[in-house]
Order: sequence, then C-alpha cells, then structure tokens
Amino acid sequence: MYDIKKIRNFSIIAHIDHGKSTLADRLLEYTGAVEKRQVEEQLLDNMELERERGITIKARAVRFPYTADDGETYELNLIDTPGHVDFGYEVSRSLTACEGAVLIVDATQGVQAQTLANAYLAVDNDLEILPVINKIDLPSADAETAKREIEDIIGIPASDAPCISAKMGINIREVLERIVRDIPCPKGSPEKPLRALIFDSYYDAYKGVVVYLRVMDGCLKVGDRVKMMHTGAAFDVVEVGTLSAFSLDKRDCLYAGEVGYFTAAIKNIGDTKVGDTVTLRDEPADEPLPGFKKVQPMVFSGVYPADGARYGDLKEALEKLQLNDASLVFEPETSAALGFGFRCGFLGLLHMEIIDERLEREFNLDLITTAPSVVYEIVLTDGTTVRVDNPADYPDPARISEAREPIVKASVITPTEFVGPVMQFCLDRRGTYLDMKYLDPTRAELLYELPLNEIVYDFFDTLKSKTRGYASLDYEPIGYRKSDLVKLDILLNGELIDALSFIVHADHAYARARKLVEKLRDNIPRQLFELPVQAAVGGKVIARETVRAMRKDVLAKCYGGDITRKKKLLEKQKEGKKRMRTFGSVQIPSEAFMAVLKPDDDD
Amino acid sequence: MQTQAISLYYHIPFCARKCRYCAFYSLARTDEGTFDAYRDALCAHTRAEADGRAVESVYFGGGTPSLFGAVRIRDVLNDVRNGFSLLPDAEITVEVNPATADGQFFRTLADAGVNRVSVGMQSSDDGELAFLGRTHTFADTVRCVSDARDAGIDDVSLDLLFALPGQDVERFRKSLTDAFSLAPTHLSVYSLQLEEGTVFYKQRQTLSFPSEDEEEAQYDLLCAMTAERGYEHYEISSFAKDRHFSRHNLRYWLRGEYLGFGPAAHSFRDRRRFSNTPDLDAYLADPTGANDYAEAERISETEELEETVLLGLRTTLGIPARIVPADRVDRLESFGLLRRQGDRVALTERGWRVSNAVIGQLLP
Repeated sequence: MYDIKKIRNFSIIAHIDHGKSTLADRLLEYTGAVEKRQVEEQLLDNMELERERGITIKARAVRFPYTADDGETYELNLIDTPGHVDFGYEVSRSLTACEGAVLIVDATQGVQAQTLANAYLAVDNDLEILPVINKIDLPSADAETAKREIEDIIGIPASDAPCISAKMGINIREVLERIVRDIPCPKGSPEKPLRALIFDSYYDAYKGVVVYLRVMDGCLKVGDRVKMMHTGAAFDVVEVGTLSAFSLDKRDCLYAGEVGYFTAAIKNIGDTKVGDTVTLRDEPADEPLPGFKKVQPMVFSGVYPADGARYGDLKEALEKLQLNDASLVFEPETSAALGFGFRCGFLGLLHMEIIDERLEREFNLDLITTAPSVVYEIVLTDGTTVRVDNPADYPDPARISEAREPIVKASVITPTEFVGPVMQFCLDRRGTYLDMKYLDPTRAELLYELPLNEIVYDFFDTLKSKTRGYASLDYEPIGYRKSDLVKLDILLNGELIDALSFIVHADHAYARARKLVEKLRDNIPRQLFELPVQAAVGGKVIARETVRAMRKDVLAKCYGGDITRKKKLLEKQKEGKKRMRTFGSVQIPSEAFMAVLKPDDDD
Repeated sequence: MQTQAISLYYHIPFCARKCRYCAFYSLARTDEGTFDAYRDALCAHTRAEADGRAVESVYFGGGTPSLFGAVRIRDVLNDVRNGFSLLPDAEITVEVNPATADGQFFRTLADAGVNRVSVGMQSSDDGELAFLGRTHTFADTVRCVSDARDAGIDDVSLDLLFALPGQDVERFRKSLTDAFSLAPTHLSVYSLQLEEGTVFYKQRQTLSFPSEDEEEAQYDLLCAMTAERGYEHYEISSFAKDRHFSRHNLRYWLRGEYLGFGPAAHSFRDRRRFSNTPDLDAYLADPTGANDYAEAERISETEELEETVLLGLRTTLGIPARIVPADRVDRLESFGLLRRQGDRVALTERGWRVSNAVIGQLLP
C-alpha cells in the first residue's frame, strides 16, 4: 500500500478572496472525497466566522485519492493555510509540510500583496509552485495579464498555467493532473529515526489534543513513546491515522512522507506547538527540523464584559477558545474604570478581531476592548530592560533611559494613481521609505519600515479608504528601534481613567489627545454636573473638553393616572445601569467606551 | 364598607379632530347616538362599581368632554351621587376645549355640581394653535373662561404647552402673559413630547424642536413668571394660586386610589394598577368587563418604593428621606438638585428640570 512515490503533499496559496477555499472544495468534490451536497459550505473553512470573512483562520488538512490519466491512484494531501499576515509563522510551517503549492491568482485582479508574500514564502521553502488562473468565467477576467504578472513580478513561468473557474467547476481535472505531474513526491526514509513536523492541533473533549503532522522521516505507530523536541513534553501515542473530509481515519502507522494525526491523551495544547518536531523518546533523531519559533503575541488589549457581572462567562469563554488556539494568551487584569477583565495577547490585529467576534457571537458576550497596544522595550536608568504591553505598566518617564518600539517591514501594493496619497500616509505614520517597484504600468509595490504601533492604529482601514479599497498590505516584524514615546492619560472629572491610557509617539500625542477628548465629549452622556475631560502627558494637560451638565430632561404628562410610561422609563434606566461604569461621581455607559475605543475612519 | 376615599376618572374619548401631537385614545365620532350609548355605558359602569365609598374628586378628561355635552356629564354625576358618598367639598373637574363650550354648557355643569374647569388653552398664538391642530383660537379661550366665570365656576385651570417646534422664549412669554391676563387659579404646563402614532411623529424629520438649552430657558421663564405673580410651583408642571391645587392630580402623585371609567382609563385599587381596554365598542358592549384587572398583580414592595419616589418627587411634599440612600441625597443636595425639609426630601426647581436623572440616582 505505502508508496512514497504516489504521495503528493500540497497547499493552496492565494490573496484573500482569490478563490482558495472554493478550489479546495472542487478538488474534493471532483475526486469523490466528498459529495457535492456536502459542500454546501466550504469545508476547509469550517468556522462560521471564517465563512463570513472568506478567510481561513486555522489550518486544516485532508487526504484524498486521485486516479490520474496515467492510470495510477495517488494519495493527495491538501494542507490548508491560514490566509492572513497575522498567521505568517503558521503558514510557513504548513508550507514546510508540503512539496508544492498551487498559487491561485484571480484573473480579474492579478497579483496582490498576499499573493507575493505567500509565493515568496513558498519559494523560501523550496516548494514547486503551480500557478493557476481563477475566475475566468467573469467578464472582466484577463488571464493573459495575470499570467504575465506572475512571470514578471514573481518570476516563475506561467504561460501554461491552468485557466479555471473554481466556482463553475471549469478545468478542475487539469489542476489535479498538474499536481500529480509537477509536484514532486516527498523525500525522506521510513528507515530513519522519526522526525515529524507539527503544523496544527486542536482540542477534542474525548481524545485530548489531536495533533496534525507530516512525517518527514521514520514512522509513527500506536503505542510509540514520543517526545516533542522543543518543549520536551513526552507522551504515549494512543491513536494515529489520516485525515478525511469529515473524519479521522485510524491506522496503525504513519510513514515518512505521509500527512496525518495522532492523539496521546494530551491535556494542554501548549505542549504541541506548531513547528515542533515529534521524535521517538528512546531512539530520538539527532536534530529537530529547522524553523521552529516560539510564537509571541504582537498585540495586546484589555477585554472587559460590558456587563460587569459576566466576568465569569468571559473567563470560561477565553479558556474554551484557548483550548484550540495556543497563540491566544490572557491573564486577569483589573481596571479602575472597567472593573475585572483580561489582558489578552494576540498574533495581530486580525487575530484580535477574530477572538473578539468569536467571544461576542459564540459566547454571546458584549465586550469593551481597550485600544490595542504593541510590546515596547523600555531600558530603565538602572540598566535593566522591561517589556511593556500595557500602558498601565509604563514606567515613570524619569526612570526611562531609552524607549524602543517594534518595527515592521511593510509592503503595500496599490494602483499607481494612489502612490502619492499612500506615500504621504506612510510618512504621516512615521514610515521610512525603502523602495518602490512598478509591478506593471498600473500598479506599484511600496516598501516601508513602519512602527507596528502605527499599523495597529487603524492603518489598514485608512489605507483602504485612501485607495478606494484597492491597496493590499503585508508586513513582517524586523525588530526594535529607539523611539520618542510618551504615555497619554485621560482624566474625567480629574480622575485618571486607566482603560483609556495609551502609548504614542511624542509627535502624535497632541493630535491623538485632541481627537480622543472630542470623541469623549461627544459620546459621554451629560451628567448632573459639568464634567471636564482632559488628556495629559506626564501630568501635564495637553487637551481639554467639557461635557456640559444636563439641562432639562423629558417632562411627560402623567395623564389620567396613567403612570405606565413613567415606569417604563424607570425600567429602561435600570437596564442601562447594568451597563454603566461608575467611578467617583461619574457614570459612563459601556457604549460610550465602545464608541471611543472604536478606531476612526477619517484620518 | 370601604373607609378610604377614592377618586373617579371619566375618559371621554371623542374629538372633533385629533390634535397633531396627541397620542391619547380618542375617536372622531361625534354623533348623538354614540354619545348616548356611551353615557349609558358610563352610568352602568358607575352603578356596577358603586359601593357607597367616599369620593374626594371626580375628573372628566379626554378626548373632549365638552363635545360630549354637559347634560350627559350631569347624568353620570347623578349616578355617582346615587352610588357613592360624594364628599361635600369634592373637587369635580371637567376638561374643556374652548371651541366646544358656551354659556349654556357651563351653566348646566355648574348646576350639576362641577366646580372646576381645566381649559385647553395650550397657546395664545393662533398660528401655533393651528400648527398644533387645535380647533380653537385664543379669542375662544378668552370667551370660554369668561363664560365659565359667569356661570359661577371660579376655579379655572389653564393647560399650556411649551417647547413647540419653532417656539422661542419670547413667543412663550407672550402666551404666558396672555394666560395670566385671564387670572387662572391654576396652570398645568407641559413640554410637547413627540409620541409615536401622532401626525408630528410622522413629520418629525421636518420639525425643528427646541434644543435642551432652549427648552430649559422656557422652563426657567415659566418658573420665574409664575413666582412673580404669586403662583405656587407645587408640582413639577403645576402652579396654583391661593392653594387652588388640583386635588385630583395630587391623589395620583400621592398614590391615593382611583377608578377609571371608559376605554383606556387607568385605575389603582387594592394595590393593583389596571386599565380598561382601549376599544370603545368593547367598552360599550361590556363596561365592567373590558379591563385587565384579572392580569394585574399586586404591586410589590420594591415597586411601591419606586412609585413613591417617582411620583412623590413630582410634588413639593417630596418623599420620606429614610427611603432613599442618605449619601446620594447628600451629593444631589450639594448639586442643588434636592433639598431636605425635616425628615422629608424634595426636588428643587433645578432638580425638577432633570428629575428623571435624579430619580435614577436615588433608586437602586
């Protein structure tokens, strides 16, 4: 049965919305791995949220047989990759598990920022790249231009790339034939000591953690004592098998070149880190597979229930999400303004939004999420360095000898008509220009070094609005740089509202302070007294607004002894109080915090 | 045998035309046949409830009681007298639309024992009256008040509205001045509210209501002008000369019991609040059964406290200080919104302006 020459391990890579999930569905359908009626929803994106956003958040994998024109039946393993910049490391590990990648390019849009980023990742991992032009059924499709862009921009031949419509099911077999023909079979030997790459895992209530892996060398059997070479955790294997569209298919053994799973009654998903190497405890491999990185959260924010009484529900929800998402970190945090909540760490902004949305939807929570913060490195006057991910922990300026902030290298692809505005925007966001390339006569790629804290401050949405939605963005962290940072505090009625503090570059402090106090003035309901709203840096007030006292409220007639309306008003007030945050003599509804903390769309 | 006195409210749900701001239950039916049938229903309902209990006040509101006619009001009052012990000094009020009342009307009312009228003046500006959809002019109001006095009804209350779209402080001052020229014993002054189901609500996009600050300025003017002329601001929107309080309304604020007659009328009895079905035909068919008494639960102690605060703070009598948290009272007193008087606490005039918010602070 086992024949390494008949195995093809591949991924599909694409810019967002170029049709990755649709093609995956068609391949499974065509080969009979699933019935058409089962593909009502895109299988590989099996979280509701993913379907709505049209992106795959967590990797999944599926094995399916295909009988090719040469009469042979091949074992195809499709390893899906997360489609967003936040999950760059996971993407790279998934690609390492493959020998080839199908690169989809939308015939109506051509090469985009993530097309490039993913293609480069695939090249870095020595994958065979198989370009495919999708959406040829659309009237505005221009397959020839898309092919030329692939050749000119990425530098791989694309003249004979299959032209398909994943949606309409056109030319799907051609893609399968090319996978079998062009993508090499795995190398590796079942005789060598076991080395298997973990590329994903999830928590199952009955089996414990289910680990997805690609066996590089050796074989993995039920009963093996295995060890994770980086974390050092060791387990007795309970179950191994392959992955089909709807189930785990048990087997006795997985051999070099194969993709599958194992379980070992593992309780903690943190023991099975993506990128780690599984080996046998008693006959270990000499060296782990290269490329392992401990994933560090890049973006932090405080997450609080809008109704303070739901703290326990929030805790439970975060614990449940963490079972399947080791990259989510959180610890309890107390805010004078918002009460009990959690400081959460995320891989990036999208990851943060996804977690936020899942908490709200799947767990029916209403949340206040504080402004996202990056991790700063602060060198103190005594020579020690501290990492600060929470403005509340920002040291007294007198104790700081140097502040450093994380920097990313960002690639923006934009129609050439917007190059000017994009360059101005990057400059406004403290970007350092690196390079500009014309991808074709109509589009350019701009390369900038940008502080990550500018990226998390509503960068992408603003970029989109400045380019009428056409620009695409990709970035990767490149290290830390000295910076002139200050902590900006907000005071209501003279009291510090900790949840609204943030760290900002000194040059931007005034503008951000102005904007925030104005937003607060507009969103805080009038109180029974005049309420000063101030923004301060190091105790010095740099912006001030006033919420005027309430003047007059509704004076409704209680006619003919009908007091029901009065009572209804009272009920409404009571309901509102549950979502009210009281500090000192000021009461602020959660909604006002939400409105203030929501990013702008206008700068 | 009931010992506690009760008040009676009669709802007359007929109008020649619906005012453009009005959301109360009323119908544009004005035929004599309907009126007679309705009179019979009210009388039957009154007889069914009659238990000899002392009645402290009777109030005919609407709708437009003056459209219904003084004779029918007299018929109803006869049944009240027959079935209850109408106290000798009982306050008996009829609401009057100036367009539908003449000297004969008031003389009949006076004969029937009516001793107070509440005249729906609303404004002295005929443009504003037309805009509101009122069917009368200010001249009608002047004549109407004079007719009432001629008939011997001295206790005349005027209803006024403020915070009208487009109304500024000066126009409101004019209405107030004109109202004072009629020497009313009582004023009820409300700000215009946008209610769902009204013509104004449909047109709300095109109406420019005064801002919170403009509304406050009008209320300030109202408080100042009434004080100058010796009116006592005894309730959030009521002003009385020489202690001519509206005793009927005070009973609402002080949680006295009352019975409502007619569709959409509310009752408060045996710690139950209930209302009659807002359906004239249902009421005509079964005057005693067309209410939700069966579903009404006894008011809990929490609700009782809420009502006491909600209603009591509308008046200068206020509420017992012990029923609300002392620290809150202290704080609101320091803002000038509440004042303590002995063991009671009441809203100041400033407090009345923001009464909903203050009440919200006092209740849990």
